[in-house]
Amino acid sequence: MIAVVRIRLENITKEFGDFKALDGIDLEIEEGEFMALLGPSGSGKSTLLYIIAGIYKPTKGRIYFDDGDVTDLPPKDRNVGLVFQNWALYPHMSVFENITFPLELRKVAKGEIRRKVAEVTEMLKIENLLDRYPWQLSGGQQQRVAIARALVKEPDVLLLDEPLSNLDALLRIEVRAELKRLQKKLGITAVYVTHDQAEALAMADRIAVIKDGRLLQVGTPEEIYERPRHKFVGGFIGNPPMNFLNGFADRGILRIGKSTIPLPKEYESVRGEVIVGFRPHDVEIGEGIEGEVYSVEHLGREQIVTVSVEGEMVKVIVPGDRRFEFGDKVRLKPKKIVLFDKKTETAI
Amino acid sequence: MRDIETKSRKSELLIILTIVIASVPMILAFSLLVLSSFSEEMVTNLKSFRPTLENWINLFQGKMAITGSIRVNIFEITLNTLIVALGVAGLVTIVSTLAGYALSRMDFRGRKHVMIALLVLHAFPGVALIVGVYLLYKLTLPQDPDLMRFYSFFYVILARGALEIPMSVWLMKGFFDAIPWEFEWSGIIDGASRITVWRKIMLPLVKPGILAVALFAFIAGWQDIIYVRTFLIDQTLATFIESNIESEFSHMPLIAAAGTLYLLPTIVFFLIAQRILLQGYSGGLKG
Amino acid sequence: MLVMVLIFYLIPLVMTVYLSFTSMKNWNVKYLFDLVGFYNYHRLFYMFQHDPSFKAIVLTTIVFILITLVVNVFGGLGLALGTFFLSDIVGSKFRLLWLLPRIAPIAVYSLVWYYFFHETSIGTLNSILMELGIIHQPIPWGQIIPWGAWSVIIFVNGLVGVSFGMIVFTSALNQIPKELVIAARVDGASAWTISKRILIPLLKWHLLYVLTWQFLSLLTTYCHLFLLVEWNLVNRDYGTTLALYVYNTAFLGGELDQGLAAAVILSVIGVSGGFLTLKLLGFEKMMKRPRGDV
Repeated sequence: MIAVVRIRLENITKEFGDFKALDGIDLEIEEGEFMALLGPSGSGKSTLLYIIAGIYKPTKGRIYFDDGDVTDLPPKDRNVGLVFQNWALYPHMSVFENITFPLELRKVAKGEIRRKVAEVTEMLKIENLLDRYPWQLSGGQQQRVAIARALVKEPDVLLLDEPLSNLDALLRIEVRAELKRLQKKLGITAVYVTHDQAEALAMADRIAVIKDGRLLQVGTPEEIYERPRHKFVGGFIGNPPMNFLNGFADRGILRIGKSTIPLPKEYESVRGEVIVGFRPHDVEIGEGIEGEVYSVEHLGREQIVTVSVEGEMVKVIVPGDRRFEFGDKVRLKPKKIVLFDKKTETAI
Repeated sequence: MRDIETKSRKSELLIILTIVIASVPMILAFSLLVLSSFSEEMVTNLKSFRPTLENWINLFQGKMAITGSIRVNIFEITLNTLIVALGVAGLVTIVSTLAGYALSRMDFRGRKHVMIALLVLHAFPGVALIVGVYLLYKLTLPQDPDLMRFYSFFYVILARGALEIPMSVWLMKGFFDAIPWEFEWSGIIDGASRITVWRKIMLPLVKPGILAVALFAFIAGWQDIIYVRTFLIDQTLATFIESNIESEFSHMPLIAAAGTLYLLPTIVFFLIAQRILLQGYSGGLKG
Repeated sequence: MLVMVLIFYLIPLVMTVYLSFTSMKNWNVKYLFDLVGFYNYHRLFYMFQHDPSFKAIVLTTIVFILITLVVNVFGGLGLALGTFFLSDIVGSKFRLLWLLPRIAPIAVYSLVWYYFFHETSIGTLNSILMELGIIHQPIPWGQIIPWGAWSVIIFVNGLVGVSFGMIVFTSALNQIPKELVIAARVDGASAWTISKRILIPLLKWHLLYVLTWQFLSLLTTYCHLFLLVEWNLVNRDYGTTLALYVYNTAFLGGELDQGLAAAVILSVIGVSGGFLTLKLLGFEKMMKRPRGDV
């Protein structure tokens, strides 16, 4: 029913005058994959999406859909569906007219149109809203209409630009799951832009982390979370984010301030100044790095204890039943660490 | 707007071509006039271009014809045009800025009526008013010849300006409306009087509006012919051209030169103001 | 400010109305107090029925307003849409070009067209057509009645008028979220389709605004016609609208009292048109909030 396409981006660079929005991005998106483009605002992720869509033309580099070079093709020849952050529904057209618009442009027969619209609206559960106008719909409903409009022409690729950011928090989580289900059911290749790392972790098959126009890491949510290849990736993913401390590695021992802890086997041969990364959930309180309790935030089942180590703040997740006072001296033992080169900030 | 970068160039070229074709008569007609001022005879059919600077020399020397002793002072005429234009610009700017602010910020009785009146006045036929205005003019005209000339200038500026004021007030009101209340409130809380607030805070913020109003008022004054010929005793470039077309002794390329001279400041002024206006706007907008 | 309004609008208005009921001719103030009732209006109607040149003027006024209105509104719309799809720099240059007729000195503007449509072979249009072999003798364009004269005045005024619509529609188009256009492009729409299905429907209010405003303007415009008629480029009767008629009778000699009657009629149409416009466009809403955004 829907052709499933593999996307390959080769050395994509995009410049707007003097400003380099994207720098040498190489990325492959598999057939039927849900790929999230994750990054902070201004990182270039939306620019990359628009290049895949055909709205922007890369200054350098080429794009392939399934081995076909589409770099110079306009959007309509690429058969992509695009869902905007603010949905961009035509305000003067009814929901039905909004959805049929792409089909009318392709001169599809009226009977066909009706059938396809029925199919898509049923799938998105909006079949009873066809006569309404966008201003009469809630945010969540408008979003479904936008998705329906993108899907009705049976695109090869579904592109979504932060589609959930205009919804309230509760709705967002609900729609997240539905979107993922829909994508899997249709088996369509999807590229999803977001700045919300939780969203990316929850929905994507693979995540591409982008910062300042550069691709920092591509991997499954697990890979990105457990084995970040760049300090930024480690610090961006996870809530609360990864802790970073300066340390010195030598012969299997890691020295942080006055304390020392043993290094895991894979880092035995590392020598010199390093950045030590570890997640708040991966810390035991007991033996190890010296620190002083700075603040405590109770979350019910758990608590976030902020500990000051050599002047740096470190967050630790602890079960809620332990008691901590400001100024308590504690010792932290990270169970899992990632070392980063001090200068390049890449993982060792 | 370059909406998508992969769009084919063809459609853009087609649009450009259409607009250019539509613009041809206008461009042609104006260019020929300017060309004529540099020619011995009027260039109206692309064949009769005989280049010379004679017309311009004559114009500035005040000679009206190749032979004959009719003298004209083009500098004075241009100056008159300038006086009218500046007068209208000044008057309209001041009045509309004050009135615009008042209508935007102050609540007074009859406010709504004033606003409706302004809009209706704009729809009012200028030609109907000009008759009554002229009558007043005739009735109040002083007898002393010097005073009479001065009065006619004064009257022209007032009358022409009055025509521009309704729209300008509306425009300025719009600009003032766009400024959030907080700016004035913080000024008043800090102890400034309303007038100080107006001068130090509001005016700088509506600069693009003031510029726009002043620009259009100036153009209105500069380009006018009807009011100038009706009220003004002296000549401006407009009445100069009017009175010299096809008359026995006038050398048309010379008139073309006068026309070009008349036209030039409009274009220059407008281009400069455009640039300033655009700078004023792009501060808050990104493409 | 209110004083100015008073002096330049109310008093002249009252005077004009008053004067139209007098028998004043040629500004002879002696007749100022000689009221003759509706006599002038009757004469006007009589003239309309029996005086061919006055009939021509009325007809010209109607044709002129209707056709120029169409030209102005659709021309302005076309220019706005066309320049909208071009890159900003190129588009704005074209818009500037089309502002030229509006801002050029009226005397120069009239002069330029005087030579363009001149009836002898020195007329630019004539010489071009003769060069191309399309015609063999110069045609007195403005003197062909009625369509020659009408075409000239519609053309000349049309070029001036399109700039208003162009400005209004351009600013309206710029307020439409760009995503709507991009979404349509992704679906494969051409500039024409986008204009027809998306942009124009969203401009409905502005279309009405330009239509009504231009109608009122055309009803009362006469500056750009005055010199064309005075210099005899266009036939007097078929190149004069009612507004110009008023001015001419008042200041070029003629039946001032009748001209004034015509002026009052124009004013009545104009003002009622103005009120109608306000109602139609919902200006009530704009005025109810003295402080706040619409």
